[in-house]
This record gives sequence, structure tokens and C-alpha cells, in this order.
Amino acid sequence: MYLAPEGDELEIASAAADFIADALPIARLHEGSGPDMGADLRATLGEMGWFALALPEDKGGSGLSAIEHALFFREIGRQCGPADVLAQALAADCASDEVLRSALVAGEYGVGLLLVDGDAFRLIGPLDARYGLCVTPRSAALYDLSDATIAGRPALDPANSLAVVSGLSEPVDTQTGPRGWQFGQVGTAAMLLGLSEAALDLIVEYAKVRETFGKPIGSWQAVRHTCADMAVAVEGARAQLWYAATALKEGRGDAPAHLDAAKHLANEAALFATDSNIQLHGGIGVTDEHNAHLLMKHAALLSRLFGDRNTLLASLLHAELED
Amino acid sequence: MDLRYSDEDREFRARAREWLQANTPKDPRPAGGHAASQFDRDWQKKLFEHGWAGVAWPKEYGGLGLSGLQQVIWYEELSRAHAPPAHVSTTYVAVMHAGPTVIARGTEEQKAYHLPRILSGESLWCQGFSEPNAGSDLAALRTSGRVEGDHLVVNGAKMWTTDAAHADWMELLIRTDPDSQRHKGLTWLAFDMKTPGIDIKPIRTMLLDEHVNMVFFDEVRVPLTAVVGELHGGWSTAMATLSFERGLGFIADQLELFEKVGRAIKLASEVRGADERPAIEDVEIARRLAAIKAETMAIRAMTLADIAETDRTGMPGPKGSMMKLKVTATHKALSKLVSEILGWGFFEFDGDRSNNPWTHDFLWSWVFSIAGGSNEIQREITADRVLELPRSR
Ligand SMILES: Cc1cc2nc3c(=O)[nH]c(=O)nc-3n(C[C@H](O)[C@H](O)[C@H](O)COP(=O)(O)OP(=O)(O)OC[C@H]3O[C@@H](n4cnc5c(N)ncnc54)[C@H](O)[C@@H]3O)c2cc1C
Repeated sequence: MYLAPEGDELEIASAAADFIADALPIARLHEGSGPDMGADLRATLGEMGWFALALPEDKGGSGLSAIEHALFFREIGRQCGPADVLAQALAADCASDEVLRSALVAGEYGVGLLLVDGDAFRLIGPLDARYGLCVTPRSAALYDLSDATIAGRPALDPANSLAVVSGLSEPVDTQTGPRGWQFGQVGTAAMLLGLSEAALDLIVEYAKVRETFGKPIGSWQAVRHTCADMAVAVEGARAQLWYAATALKEGRGDAPAHLDAAKHLANEAALFATDSNIQLHGGIGVTDEHNAHLLMKHAALLSRLFGDRNTLLASLLHAELED
Repeated sequence: MDLRYSDEDREFRARAREWLQANTPKDPRPAGGHAASQFDRDWQKKLFEHGWAGVAWPKEYGGLGLSGLQQVIWYEELSRAHAPPAHVSTTYVAVMHAGPTVIARGTEEQKAYHLPRILSGESLWCQGFSEPNAGSDLAALRTSGRVEGDHLVVNGAKMWTTDAAHADWMELLIRTDPDSQRHKGLTWLAFDMKTPGIDIKPIRTMLLDEHVNMVFFDEVRVPLTAVVGELHGGWSTAMATLSFERGLGFIADQLELFEKVGRAIKLASEVRGADERPAIEDVEIARRLAAIKAETMAIRAMTLADIAETDRTGMPGPKGSMMKLKVTATHKALSKLVSEILGWGFFEFDGDRSNNPWTHDFLWSWVFSIAGGSNEIQREITADRVLELPRSR
């Protein structure tokens, strides 16, 4: 029993942290580098094998577990990284055709997440995505978007493009079973954890240097106590995510329930931490040049993916848990 | 990371479960008074006689020397078996922090005298730290002890002393250097409650009980051999006591909460609301219950993460305060929700926990977020020690 990164896990986490902070820094969103990964970065990530971390070895992946998957996506979240990174990894896992799979692993095509929205679909991901992945708790379906109509929409969250998709044909591949959903839950919960940690770090650092009435704001209890509450929420979300990812790795029967709880707690922690981070920064917190709103907008979007509050709570209520 | 229990851990769980099933008292714990403390002593004695006392204590002092993880297993099995809950037991102070303080700071004579008595349920302890004008700000305490030969002569008043009327011994923290300020010049005594000159006055609480007390000291003579740690060095001993209280002190409550949510969900399926439908069919109630369940899962994960880390490093981390904040908030949310589910039954309360545990729990939720360091103080500690923010004081 051990519930913190250790051994090789630590090495992967620190390699991911270094690489992502360099290749996909949150600052990019202030420097006009645009939403989504972009083809170049996608190719670089593909070359380094980041999309195939949890892909089984016999399918050309690294054969690592939900734990490494979580550690990688936590770093993506910390930099407000786009959701198409996750879409790419899940699509590669979904593809049964070997040629298509290795092209997805290599990042040759763009992939976005498809979400049912009334009669049409929403696309979260690049407007020129070749594929769209639609994941439910029971299956994942990969669609070729070549002939579909993709209408770009203005996006609240600058990390991702947003579009309405219509005219989808039948999926080119379908993966039955919960695997896509579960790795999607781990991925989004980890991104939410990473950006909650980023929000907490931002305000704690600022609270040490910003002074009002002759004292750092971090000495005022209204600020300190909110930071403490943020830390508690983040700590709970982190512990539960480690628990859930490990339960999935070990194939425990109660893994789905732990994943639902992990996603729910990550949703709540991220919405709370990114909200408080803006408030406690004062006026500077609402400016476009600051990172605070980027984290809040991305948290709002991710909290809808792979289980929003009401869906998660409905499935959690009667779920049985093991020792 | 891994969630696997070793063969020894699994075997330990099976053994604990079997023993608890056969030995958990069938009768409910009496509501209060001598009958309640006798019940607690009997249960502790039974644990002791069957080799289950002092799960956290080192073997050389008669404990079981269990790993943190096995302690978690033990508390999980206790609450699964509906065994007497640790947080309302009069053995709590003795077993959870007085004994461990004597182990850490006591002399060989003190260890030899006190430890076996605590384990067997012969000695109950209370905690005499807080005073009318020293609660959160413990270092403001004024109860004094003047050195006269080989004795201290104690004068003053302690307040909020839980179970003082039943305790045999008290963790007594006093000011022994009259010229000292704040944290300096304090002394921690193992105080014999039979000593002449003390007067115990119960304080009735909103739980309709008289568990907490004022304890007055009038020229009370205590031998210097009762000092645990250094004379005038009591702050350091007191910090050891609080570290035991804040470290694993709440572990039973943490894990019991997990069990309680299951009971609340069952209750919500049975109790019907004003519209004759089971309460759980109300979507708001169902969602609040599920959200609380998720919190208790996180609390359990935090507990296991923390315990496993401590087992590995041998050093408890600074996260006890965060744990207490989460546990008390979740406890409050649960007991509030159940108060709504229960309808008018919630208002039937005579002070006896076993007659209406949920109403008792509802009232207890404020004790939990104030006693043992209020939630505001826990936020201060988290801000100082975990986040390293500039101090507020
Ligand atoms: C049922 C019960 C049982 C108890 N049992 C024991 C016992 O057995 N032994 C024992 O020694 N003590 C015991 N206590 C005492 C307990 O530890 C104190 O009540 C607690 O520490 C708070 O102190 P206080 O009551 O003096 O409140 P105060 O310290 O007067 O605090 C009043 C309010 O101000 C807030 N506050 C205080 N300082 C700060 C600050 N720096 N920043 C922000 N907010 C602050 C507090 O959180 C609280 O809300 C018990 C208390 C209760 C209620």
C-alpha cells in the first residue's frame, strides 16, 4: 500500500513536467500560439511516444498503466494544455487497425473529442481534425471527419477550439467496453488536478509579495483561510485520483466508483481553486494578460467532460466499495 | 503506487473482524455518568485481556506496535462491527495521547506505573490544558504552580475538561515560573485526580450532557515526581501531546464517517418524506448524499496516503490539520442532511446517543469543529506549515 508517485513513476512525472513546461507552456496562450496542440507539437509529442504511454505493448505502446497516464496529464493540466492531447491518446487506444493506430500514435492526424449536443455534435479540438472520438461509459467510437461539416464557433476556453459538427457518417472503428471512458476520466481528472495545483501555487506566491495596508495579503486571514481551504480540496482530489488510478491499474472491481469519485472531486477542487485564485488576486486577476482566467475557463470546460457533477453523483450513490 | 494489502495485513483484518464479531458488546453504551465510564473501562479491559489494546503503542510498552496501515484496518473493522466509538469513549485521552506522551517524555518509573494501567482500562485520563481565558491561545494559560521543596502548589482553574469527573489522572499544563511569558515556564504534570484541594463543576452542554467541566485548584500539592518532561519545559511536552492528538487522534472518526454514509443511504431508502416517497428519490437529497460519499472516499484515500507515507518515513507529515478540516466539514454536511431526511423523528432527543445517534451526531458536529483546535486554528496551521504563508500573528 502506497499512494504517492514513487520509483519509475517519479521519473516519468519529472520528464513529463520538464518537457511539457518547455513545449507547451501556459505562456503560449498569451503569445498568440493559438488553441489546440497544432500539427508540429503533435508530431513532436508523437515522436516521443507520449500518446502511447498506456497503450499495450503488443499494440505498439509503452504498456504503462493508468498511474503514468495520470502523471502525464497532470502536467498537461498544469500548463493549461489542450484536450486534444487526451483525444489523441484515447483515439490511438481505440483504433484496431494497425496502420491507423500507428499514425495516431505518431500524431500524423489531428483528433478532437466529439460530444452529443442535441441533433449535432460538439467538437473540442482542432477545426482541421481528421478524426473525432466519441466516448461513453460503455464504448468509444472513432469517426472520420473528412466529409463532415465542421463549423467553428468562438471559444470561451482559449486552450481548445470549439465547433459544431454535422453530417457524420458511421464510425470507422468502435471499442466496446469502458476502457476509453475510464482513461478519459483519469486524464481529465489529472488535468483538473494539475490546474488546481497551478491555481493554488499562483495565489500562494502572490500572497507572499502583494502588500496592502503595509502587510503581505497572505497574512490576512480572509486570504490565508481561503488558501487553506483550497489546499484541502486539492489534497482530497489528489489522494482520490491516486487511489482511483491505482485501482484501475490493479483491475479492482470498485475502480469505476473510485474513478467517478476522483473525477467529481477534481471537478469541484478545480472549479473552487480557479475561482478563488481570481478573487484573491484582486483586479489583476480579471485581466487578460494574467493566467488566472485561463485556468478558470479550462477548468469549466474539463469539468463537463467524462462525467459532470450530476452524472457522476447519480452513478456514485449506490456503488459498492471494497476494502 | 499500489493498493495491495500484504498477506499479514489481510490475515490481520480477518482475525480482527472475527474477534470483533464475537466480542463487541451487545448492549448500547449508557448515555453518561459512572455507568458510561464503567462500560468504557470494561471494554478496554476486554481488549487488553484478548491482546487488542494499544494498537499504536510500541510492543516494549505492552502495545501491539502495529504499522499505520494495520491501525487503519483495525479502526475500519471497529466501525464495521459497530463497536463502541472511540471519540465518545472516556478512554480516549489516556490511550490516544496521555499514554503516548508518557512513552515519549516520561521517566522509567512513570512509564512502569502509568502505561499498564492505561492499557488495561484501570486508569482513565482527562486533558487539563484549556482555561477560561486560554483556548485557541493556549500559551496564555495562567493556572500556576509554585515550587515548595519537592512539591508544586497549584492554584487556578481549568475549563472544558472532558470527563474530569470520571478520570483518575489529568494531563495538567500549568505555569511554574511566575515571571515567564507565553510558551516559556510551563510544566506538564501527570496529576492524580484524587489529590485533595480540587473541585470539579460540570458544564452542561447543548448535547444535554455534563461531560465537560471546570476544575478548580486551591493550594493543591503535587510531588515533583509527577512532572513529565522538564520542569518549566512543559510546552515541548504539550506539543508532543497535541501531535499525537492531531496525528492519528481522529483516525477513528475519519474511518467511521465512511461507514456512516452507508447507513445514511440505507436510512434515506427507508424513511419517507412528506410526499410519501422514500427520501432518496428526491434528486437533491440523492446528490448531496453521493457528494458526501465522494468526500468520505477522499478522506479514506488521504488517510491511507498519509499513513503509508508515515510508515515509510517514520515521520508524521504536517497534514493532520487539513484532515481535520475535511473530516469536520464532511461530518457536518452529513449530519445536517440526515437531520432533514429524518423528518420529525430528528427532534426526539433526550441526550442519550444510543436512542438517537443522528441527532447526537448533529450536535456533536460543533464540538468536533471547535474542540481539539478549532477549524479556524486548523486553517492557520495549514497556512503556516503547509503553504508557508506569512504569519498572521
Ligand atoms: C465539548 C468540548 C470539549 C473540550 N474538551 C477539552 C479537554 O478535554 N481538555 C482541554 O484542554 N480543552 C478542551 N476543550 C477546549 C477546546 O480545545 C477549546 O474550546 C478550543 O481550543 C477553542 O478555545 P476557546 O473555546 O477558548 O475559544 P477561543 O479561543 O476564545 O476562540 C473563539 C473563536 O475565535 C476563533 N479564533 C481564535 N483565535 C483565532 C485566530 N488566531 N485566528 C482566527 N480565529 C481565531 C476560534 O476559532 C473561535 O471560533 C473542549 C472544548 C469543547 C467545546
